Amino acid sequence: MGYERQKDFGTPRVKSEKHVTLTIDGRAVTVPEGTTVMRAASEIGSSIPKLCATDNLKQFGSCRLCLVEIEGARGTPASCTTPAAEGMVVKTQTPRLDKLRKGVMELYISDHPLDCLTCSANNDCELQDQAAAVGLRDVRYGYEGANHLAEPTDHSNPYFDFDPSKCIVCSRCVRACDEVQGTFALTIDGRGFGSEVSAGQTLDNFMSSECVSCGACVQACPTATLQEKSVKKIGKPERAVVTTCAYCGVGCTFRAEMRGEQLVRMVPYKDGKANRGHSCVKGRFAWGYANHQDRITRPMVRDNIDQPWREVSWEEALSFSANKLNQIKRDHGARALGGITSSRCTNEETFLVQKLIRGGFGSNNVDTCARVCHSPTGYGLKTTFGTSAGTQDFDSVEDSDVILVIGANPTDGHPVFGSRMKQRLRQGAKLIVIDPRRIDLVKSPHIKAAHHLPLQPGTNVALLTAMAHVIVSEGLADEEFIRTRCDWDEYQDWARFVSQDKNSPEVLEGVTRVPAQSVREAARLYATGGNGAIYYGLGVTEHSQGSSTVMAIANLAMVTGNIGRKGVGVNPLRGQNNVQGACDMGSFPHELPGYRHISDADTRALFEKDWGVTLDPDPGFRINNMLDAAVDGEFRAIYIQGEDILQSDPNTQHVAAGLEAMELVIVHDLFLNETANYAHVFLPGSTFLEKNGTFTNAERRIQPVRKVMEPANGMEDWEVTQALANALGLGWSYTHPSEILDEIARLTPSFAGVSWDRLEREDSLQWPVNEEFPDGAPVMHVDGFVRGKGKFVVTDYVPTDEKTGPRFPLLLTTGRILSQYNVGAQTRRTANVEWHPEDLLEMHPSDAENRGLNDGDWTTLKSRTGETTLRVKVTDRVAPGVVYTTFHHPATQANVVTTDFSDWATNCPEYKVTAVQVMPSNGPSDWQEEYTDLSQKSRRIAGEMEPAE
Amino acid sequence: MSKEQRLSEIIAEHQSREGPLMPILHDVQAEFGCVDADSERIIAAGLNLSRAEVHGVVSFYHDFHGEPDARPVVQICRAEACKSRGVEALIADAEAAAGTRVKLATVYCLGLCSVGPNARIGDDLHARLDSDRLKKLIETV
Amino acid sequence: MSGSTIETLRRMANQIARNFEIMGHVDAVEATADHINMFWDPRMKKQIFGDGGQDLSPIAKAAIEELAQGEIPAHQTRATEFNAVDDIGQSDAG
Ligand code: SF4
Ligand code: SF4
Ligand code: SF4
Ligand code: FES
Ligand code: FES
Repeated sequence: MGYERQKDFGTPRVKSEKHVTLTIDGRAVTVPEGTTVMRAASEIGSSIPKLCATDNLKQFGSCRLCLVEIEGARGTPASCTTPAAEGMVVKTQTPRLDKLRKGVMELYISDHPLDCLTCSANNDCELQDQAAAVGLRDVRYGYEGANHLAEPTDHSNPYFDFDPSKCIVCSRCVRACDEVQGTFALTIDGRGFGSEVSAGQTLDNFMSSECVSCGACVQACPTATLQEKSVKKIGKPERAVVTTCAYCGVGCTFRAEMRGEQLVRMVPYKDGKANRGHSCVKGRFAWGYANHQDRITRPMVRDNIDQPWREVSWEEALSFSANKLNQIKRDHGARALGGITSSRCTNEETFLVQKLIRGGFGSNNVDTCARVCHSPTGYGLKTTFGTSAGTQDFDSVEDSDVILVIGANPTDGHPVFGSRMKQRLRQGAKLIVIDPRRIDLVKSPHIKAAHHLPLQPGTNVALLTAMAHVIVSEGLADEEFIRTRCDWDEYQDWARFVSQDKNSPEVLEGVTRVPAQSVREAARLYATGGNGAIYYGLGVTEHSQGSSTVMAIANLAMVTGNIGRKGVGVNPLRGQNNVQGACDMGSFPHELPGYRHISDADTRALFEKDWGVTLDPDPGFRINNMLDAAVDGEFRAIYIQGEDILQSDPNTQHVAAGLEAMELVIVHDLFLNETANYAHVFLPGSTFLEKNGTFTNAERRIQPVRKVMEPANGMEDWEVTQALANALGLGWSYTHPSEILDEIARLTPSFAGVSWDRLEREDSLQWPVNEEFPDGAPVMHVDGFVRGKGKFVVTDYVPTDEKTGPRFPLLLTTGRILSQYNVGAQTRRTANVEWHPEDLLEMHPSDAENRGLNDGDWTTLKSRTGETTLRVKVTDRVAPGVVYTTFHHPATQANVVTTDFSDWATNCPEYKVTAVQVMPSNGPSDWQEEYTDLSQKSRRIAGEMEPAE
Repeated sequence: MSKEQRLSEIIAEHQSREGPLMPILHDVQAEFGCVDADSERIIAAGLNLSRAEVHGVVSFYHDFHGEPDARPVVQICRAEACKSRGVEALIADAEAAAGTRVKLATVYCLGLCSVGPNARIGDDLHARLDSDRLKKLIETV
Repeated sequence: MSGSTIETLRRMANQIARNFEIMGHVDAVEATADHINMFWDPRMKKQIFGDGGQDLSPIAKAAIEELAQGEIPAHQTRATEFNAVDDIGQSDAG
């Protein structure tokens, strides 16, 4: 495939039922009413020269290059701002227009360096293209006059440069930052000839400005003014492959633009259904980890974890593993073996790992990191709605009138969706934020929450019940919806419960510390403000009442009738890129792919027949139970694909003790991660750029991941799992992930209509895809809940056992930050660290003052389970009594202090509430030092130089 | 009162009206002689705008300055009465005398209409100016 | 504080029981038993059955006793109902 930029229609697509027909250069064209003449011309392939217009930004009309002649109209209107009208007759090429355009172009070029042949954008520059299109050969103005050619380049952003000497002040970058990203970091400084693009204020550069490095401006720039550094370094791309981002649950589609075997840049794909051409700093720029020097590409083994690693052949690593697995199985039974699937790997890979564990190891001890994030969503939504996947697609937000965000921070955690949400808010939708911390959405340029309810961590259920109290007792319930769609008797029970005095905002104020009046106002707004949509994240699920909170959210949506159409719904914002997929693929110990319980004989029979094995009919262990059982000697071997449980799971010492007790720990990953400190076998993994397969995003959208380069380790991850299976004698023979996908479709009813071929043709499909929904289902529960009636569940507020007291007077809550991803294994190995070099502890000024702490001081953070040190950031983003940190850096070991309390129904850990004390400190804790020692020791590879002391 | 407090007051005064930014900037410019980077920052936070946006507006209009002008100022009245008494004829020489060292500001009426052309330096008013006197004033300020 | 395995199991059982308490004793016992039956590994069940109900709340204790006697409780919530072999209906994606 040769390299071509994606076609630019000049102005955005217009949605309209009505159509108009006009004639352009003698050809008739029919377009939706409101479409511009420019776009209409583009649709029939007659491209009008343009500079300031591009199809993801509103028309601007500043460059005057796109002039056309319209019969009966005076002058030469700009086609980008002129709407097509019925019967209009347009000419886009006339001698008069040529002359005008040439004149305009000359003005631009006269202030532009004429070094096209040496410019890194040569042949990939709209200015150059347009100059050629208007037939401009030489410039009459020359360089005598004033110009901007001496302006210095701003290199401050690690991923792109800003070279103002090439700028034509078309404002596309400024508008992209405003309209698409919603950050408003750029402006035009000055006026007239003196005007130039500026990030932030006078002394700012890109890095010090408000810029979040989403790349929208770079993509919008028609010249080489804003350009990726990688293009300068590697050269112009020669081909492009469409693939899916491997970072978060938004699932953005990108064009991976390649030069030879090298990735030049990732450019958001305009036809991507989740991102609509937008991106964030992670997917767009943070892919450098793929060839980071820390990446391990050869298998390694060792007999015990005190020894240095030995690099060995694949055969040796696999037979070493197989022998040990067989021996442990012989001595202790199949139930002593298990594994962890990865929400970062593809559906096909995850499916194979659970197949290996259930069919090969012979146990159901399979779990996944979804346990530590969204398992309560599964439990809660399934109980209330009958099925747990999010009810909407991302487009739905465009129809919302009231958006309620609880325990989620979309602008950091799900940035591209965050930008889309902000677009809707700028159009006037109202926002309610329920979060202990003042997240950016509460107040940032052009965004202001109507209500921010800063509750005490751990009191979600109480707060949501108080909102329900207001809705029911003030007669705001949507009775008609409830009568037709829900179980009326259960509703009445629930309504009686929430109406009790003890559930009023006034009484619960003592628990939540949110003023009753704001709870009342927020509840009224959600119930009566039009289409109400709830978006929630880990701040809901990672609590001892995570499942109850999800049910309380579902109750709110049902009682107000906010289910089953565009603009409403209950939407979990999932963390990792393939959390949904990992769950669909049977990663939980009690169920097979497609959410069928392992105890169901018919389901087992289906798989047993297809796989030629016998399956254990009992549920297996969850992660935390595997670790407990390991300490007790009952669980002895684990295969962990693409997860770092030591860093991501709570109570680090407990995880370490469990891993240490095991006889065989196989880690299959890109890097020697923290878990690998306890491993005996290391199987090198491949990146998402090096494999084929599918990811399923938070809207149930199955999207293809395409191989753009050969795996550095020699095998795609599914091939590694297959090789391990075959070392155990299972005789698998897949030659391409499409065959695995066929097997999934064959065995899983909701995937029945999915195939690689279809995805190649249609780009993506939202499951279920079967006879009833041949093209998939964007919005769920349209004419009724998938299963019978919606159920109201009484959610009793049960305070967590984790309580503050004199020794631990503060509540710690955790979160994530835009530039980093999860435990940071990937993002830490990119320039993204420039935005987040370390984890900081946010603390309210009054708490800091009481402890004599100043911004930037080192502190000890201590809980019942352990202590760690990090630096404090004094800010009123958090309320008094609450502290907040992230867990992206292993040196911080924030999970050393988190407890192993967990959700009552699913054991999702209670990351969001830990009672702590914070004291001044001057250095790392004992555990941090011990741990640093151990991890240095256990990362040694025989034959490599020992690091100097 | 700190500068920050005063800025908040100015912001609060205009916040509720339509298009509060321009009146705020005018007040800030009048009060502090400039709209500096810190003020831009505080105004941006107060109005839920980005720093870049406020800066864009400040840099667009000649009325606003990023930093205070340290030069001495000579205000020259060019309103009707002074005009009819010949102030315009003095301007070219005045400008030459001022060069870049002195800032000439145009004002409209200093309340001494019958004895113009008039100028003001600080609190001192100077009447009945001719070219030489004005030049001297400017050169010695 | 992580405690031994049996302490963890007791805490889990009590926590489940506590969250069902609002249903009233009889229903809560059934729901707790059903939940444990569907989600716990056989070894975890065996261990708590052999623990003599120590430190368990009345609801948890009754539920464990019921299961220990080999009774299979009916499903009390949709969370413990799963798809049949050819069903697409439910998902408990976390
Ligand atoms: S990278 Fe994104 S946030 Fe930064 S200036 Fe460009 S559009 Fe704005
Ligand atoms: S930087 Fe690029 S997009 Fe922005 S004004 Fe200049 S030429 Fe246009
Ligand atoms: S929003 Fe998520 S999926 Fe999209 S580019 Fe960023 S990390 Fe990737
Ligand atoms: S493209 Fe129409 S005015 Fe610039
Ligand atoms: S007009 Fe000059 S002082 Fe009145």
